[in-house]
Amino acid sequence: MERRDFLKGTAYCGLALAFGGPFTPLRAFAADDLKARRAWEARYRREFLATRGDAQGFAFHCSNCQGNCAWKVYARDGVVTREEQSAAYPSINPNIPDANPRGCNKGIVHSRQMYQADRLLHPMKRAGKRGEGKWERVSWDVALDDIAARVVDNLNSHGLASLMLHCGTGILSQGRRAAPLRLGSLLGAQRLYPASAVGDMFTGASLAYGLATVGHTLDAWFDAKTIILWGINAAVTRIPDAHYLMEARYNGAKIYCITPEYNATAKLSTDWVPVKPGTDSFLAMSLLHVLFRDDFIDRDFVREQTDLTFLVRTDTGDLLRHKDLRDKGKDDVFFCWDEATGSAQPMPGSQGHFKKSLRLGKLQPALEGVWEVKGQDAAMIPVTTVFEHARREALKFPPHQTHATTGVHPTLVERMAKDLAKSDKAIVNIGFSLHKYVSGTMTCWGAALACALTGHAGERGGLDTENNWSLGGIGPLSSPKPARFASGFFSEWMNGDMARSMKRHYSDAHLKDTLGLDNQEIGALTGRYAETSNAWFGKPRALLLFADNMLRRNKSEAHYRQAFVESLDLFVDVNHRMDSTALWADYVLPAKSQYESWDLRGELGYHRFCNLTVPPKGLKPIGETKSEWEICLLLSRAIAKAAKTRGLIAIPDPDFLETKADKAAPVMRDLVNLAEDFTDHGKLMNDEDVVRWLMQNVPAIAPWTPEDAMKHGYVTLNREAGFNSPLYANRPFHSFEHNVYLRQPYKTLSGRQQFYVDHPVFKQLGCATPTAMQPLRPKSFPLAFWTPHTRHGIHSQWRANAQLLRLQRGEPYIWINPGTARQRGLAEGDPVRVFNDVGEFFARAKLMPAVPPGAVVMDHAWEPFQFRERLGLNSVVAGMLSPLELVEGWGHLKFNPNWDGNMIAFESSVEVEKSKETAA
Amino acid sequence: MRQLGMVIDLNKCIGCQTCTLACKSQWTDHDGREFMYWNHVETRPGKGYPRDWEAAGGGWDGDSLKPGRLPRLAEDYGIPADFNFESALFHEGKQPLRPLDAMQWGPNWEEDQGAGEFPNGYFFYLPRLCNHCTKPACLAACPRQAIYKREEDGIVLIDQERCRGYRYCVAACPYKKIYFNPQAGRSEKCIFCYPRVEQGIPQACAYQCVGRARHVSYLDDEAGALHQLVSVWKVALPLHPEYGTQPNVYYVPPLSPPAFEADGKPSGKPRIPDDYLRQLFGPDVDAALATLQQEIDRKSRGESSPLMDMLIAYRHGDMFRLSRPEGGQP
Repeated sequence: MERRDFLKGTAYCGLALAFGGPFTPLRAFAADDLKARRAWEARYRREFLATRGDAQGFAFHCSNCQGNCAWKVYARDGVVTREEQSAAYPSINPNIPDANPRGCNKGIVHSRQMYQADRLLHPMKRAGKRGEGKWERVSWDVALDDIAARVVDNLNSHGLASLMLHCGTGILSQGRRAAPLRLGSLLGAQRLYPASAVGDMFTGASLAYGLATVGHTLDAWFDAKTIILWGINAAVTRIPDAHYLMEARYNGAKIYCITPEYNATAKLSTDWVPVKPGTDSFLAMSLLHVLFRDDFIDRDFVREQTDLTFLVRTDTGDLLRHKDLRDKGKDDVFFCWDEATGSAQPMPGSQGHFKKSLRLGKLQPALEGVWEVKGQDAAMIPVTTVFEHARREALKFPPHQTHATTGVHPTLVERMAKDLAKSDKAIVNIGFSLHKYVSGTMTCWGAALACALTGHAGERGGLDTENNWSLGGIGPLSSPKPARFASGFFSEWMNGDMARSMKRHYSDAHLKDTLGLDNQEIGALTGRYAETSNAWFGKPRALLLFADNMLRRNKSEAHYRQAFVESLDLFVDVNHRMDSTALWADYVLPAKSQYESWDLRGELGYHRFCNLTVPPKGLKPIGETKSEWEICLLLSRAIAKAAKTRGLIAIPDPDFLETKADKAAPVMRDLVNLAEDFTDHGKLMNDEDVVRWLMQNVPAIAPWTPEDAMKHGYVTLNREAGFNSPLYANRPFHSFEHNVYLRQPYKTLSGRQQFYVDHPVFKQLGCATPTAMQPLRPKSFPLAFWTPHTRHGIHSQWRANAQLLRLQRGEPYIWINPGTARQRGLAEGDPVRVFNDVGEFFARAKLMPAVPPGAVVMDHAWEPFQFRERLGLNSVVAGMLSPLELVEGWGHLKFNPNWDGNMIAFESSVEVEKSKETAA
Repeated sequence: MRQLGMVIDLNKCIGCQTCTLACKSQWTDHDGREFMYWNHVETRPGKGYPRDWEAAGGGWDGDSLKPGRLPRLAEDYGIPADFNFESALFHEGKQPLRPLDAMQWGPNWEEDQGAGEFPNGYFFYLPRLCNHCTKPACLAACPRQAIYKREEDGIVLIDQERCRGYRYCVAACPYKKIYFNPQAGRSEKCIFCYPRVEQGIPQACAYQCVGRARHVSYLDDEAGALHQLVSVWKVALPLHPEYGTQPNVYYVPPLSPPAFEADGKPSGKPRIPDDYLRQLFGPDVDAALATLQQEIDRKSRGESSPLMDMLIAYRHGDMFRLSRPEGGQP
């Protein structure tokens, strides 16, 4: 029915009718009457059956969600009717709650999202200026031929590195993601690390463990006695697993929720810790203070598993190295003071030591003391331990003094520290929001130290950033030839000319005062990174973008967009919907979405199940959408054709060498045979072939087949799935068992949990060992600004979904404390302008007692096209990066998926005022 | 008559709205039902959905029906917005994506607002659906006797062939959980998913609840959650018992972390005020909260607690007991 008729029909409801008075007593119906009477009930039964349809498939939702939940998808006449969680995961242990049903409010509306009017249905070419909104529909052939011609010409004229083929976090599954990765790898294109591009690197964990993602399956929460949720709003961002938290609480756990605003996770906790925004590292140091002060230290654990016994030169602040003591000695062998022999002894297990074990044997490494060691030039070198350094630093931050900075009362700090120390099993979860501050690295590193001091690792819990599984075997599929791996944060920084954005908001004096480096010094560090890092960078001229909303999430969005997009000769966006980035493309290519292609996902370690997507039989294609595999296959054919026409067979790539006939030779980027290479000579023709390949070739998935997966939509990973512990069939997974029980070294320079980094930049900033770093937001504007993850989207996916917008207010709004609002004459629902010297955006005000005064908070990832003037919330966020994350070539701090930097998002200051016009 | 009931644990509800959308996609996204949310989740304290429903009358005064007011579409339910996707995304210009009709209210309008003053603000989530009451005001109010309770499970239904859309029931329901369908000219509401229940499949809102907050069993099933939590442990309470309709959906009241004193020290007291919870659940809420905490403390000390085990619910499937007591799993 027409909307106007609908509204007219409800006119009765416009009258405040009052009904009341005498009632008709209940009348019993005779049995026959009753049967006839109830015949109408068939109506709703028919409706239910209709939603069950005539075909059923399985699916998960592979956008940047780390939930990975199994759903049944029902369809009728080739159209999806509804989805419902499979809820068929087995109980792994009768004493641990099972994982069912999983799912969330986003996954459950994909059946609507996939048919919504923002869906891309046909290939389109821009018919006006970029971003003007003028499109012409073209055929796939026309689009692909033109794109291929321009790609080949670009490669020819500007070289292989001028092509960027990036698949963002919109697709994180192993099946669908393989297509763009494989194509890019064959062509030698730039490939951004997606976690870094979105600012989700846990660099504090990388410092400590050499691994960014460590932790547990989330059923491990259940029997923990203390759980510290730090900057993680699990009730909103870990929806499918949040039940384990309340179950843990019912099981007697203490739960501390550390976050500036009271939120859904604080609600279920035993204590909310209302830390002032950006001061978390001070809180971490005050926790460490209590642990050191009251000697809540598991000394045996610390001696064996950490570098706290390592000797540090008190003259230079550097770790004592073998080369200090011997001419031509190694720089990656380190020493302890052995109390058994009263001498400095080399520590086994470090990167340079021949013995690859942490077993101490007869060594009795000291934790405390000062000594002298004879150097290689016979001079005496004064030394002490990392433990002494760490303790001295922590003792600077007593809780009653940090109270003024953090807003956290010392009683809470003392209690948290004690609970952490006294619990047999304790877990400290670090959320993605912490590394949105430059200080996040310190907070996370400090939390890792707190876990180490109290002996929490392996089955005793410990730090949790995010557990991922080791799905080996995928390399030949997704990276058949060497790819140009590019740092996410660094590429975006350079491509977007973000240094200029930073200068607009942060004066040299302010940066020097808070961070310790001014704009120029940071610039020098980025220059050093550019010279020394293995990471590729360099503005591409051609961009093939899959499943990424680059122009939404980059800070100072208009500035970034101008700097980056304007340099592109070709910009192709492969997407299932028109998002804020696709609006600016030269071509949009319509992709299938979840439910429509075969797919597989198992790398996500919150649980042990590998989910399958199999479309319901007979599912009708939507518009002219194609799977990513088919798009890449057709593109590879078109590129081959274009290359052949130009007489270009292959392009040698001397930046990558391989051995051919016993000689080093450049890798050849074969263009004419690109399609054969892409399909592995016909073996991988479509998405189903890829899923079957994965199930046969990934050891952690063995022995399951797709037919096994099609019973309930998933299979269970085997023991091989864990990086540093076995995955036991009947217990939650915990990290570091190989290190703790088998004494295998950690992937760090010291071979241990590392809490001393003597890189010059770390030393210069006073961060050689965990310490506190200040928030960087300038005083030029009075309000802090942060954007926690929303429950109504996974980044920008589903942000424009009508069903979910109806459960909000239909358009973007900021959260503001009623007092802060009142000071500015702002009332509930008022149109507002948020601004600073970087930019502005318009929204509406929502008054929230849960939000602290002195702040504008906003749940994140609204699409810029949902704002007036298309000015999204990142318009007021200045460019910023962490100098610590620019460190390259120190021990385990080398560019790779475990060491890359973040998109700093929460260090800007703003003001807010009532907007002069309505935000329409 | 047997009565199927539901217990919603407000500690486990995380406000994810999956249940809202499970119901929506199962029943109410077509044919005039678009504005209806047979199940929804509102943030409390707040005006709720429909707006100010607690002030809209209905229910019983002894054996007399109290007068009630009909909610309005735009102001109280909220127009289920459609959006200008075409003009915002596929045309020239910078018009933002906006609802075609400005939203004035919605089923989750007040999400996470609550009450109090920072740092002692507080809120929790309250899922609401038809309570399939034992003494339904709606049933009594209908002059055509179009509403009845099923013998086999106590589910209250509005006969869609008998109903003429007078809406006495909409006004009479004190929970304002009946909706008038203007396209059909009839009133409709939550049907407790009887077509699913008859097949041994639990209600969509319950089964699909990601927080595992809902238990479903018959009141006479002594091993089931309804009997255990309501009658034995007395930790599950009706919402607004004073309305007199004897609802069969019960709630485990919410615990909350302590409020802070002026210097930021955590006080010993939960931040949700006792008298607010008494307003919602009646005076028995104090004892219910005390029992919960007492049993949690037993678990902390390493002692056993059958109550906590039931609320933990180790196996998702066991939360839903749709068969007779001696029967098996759904």
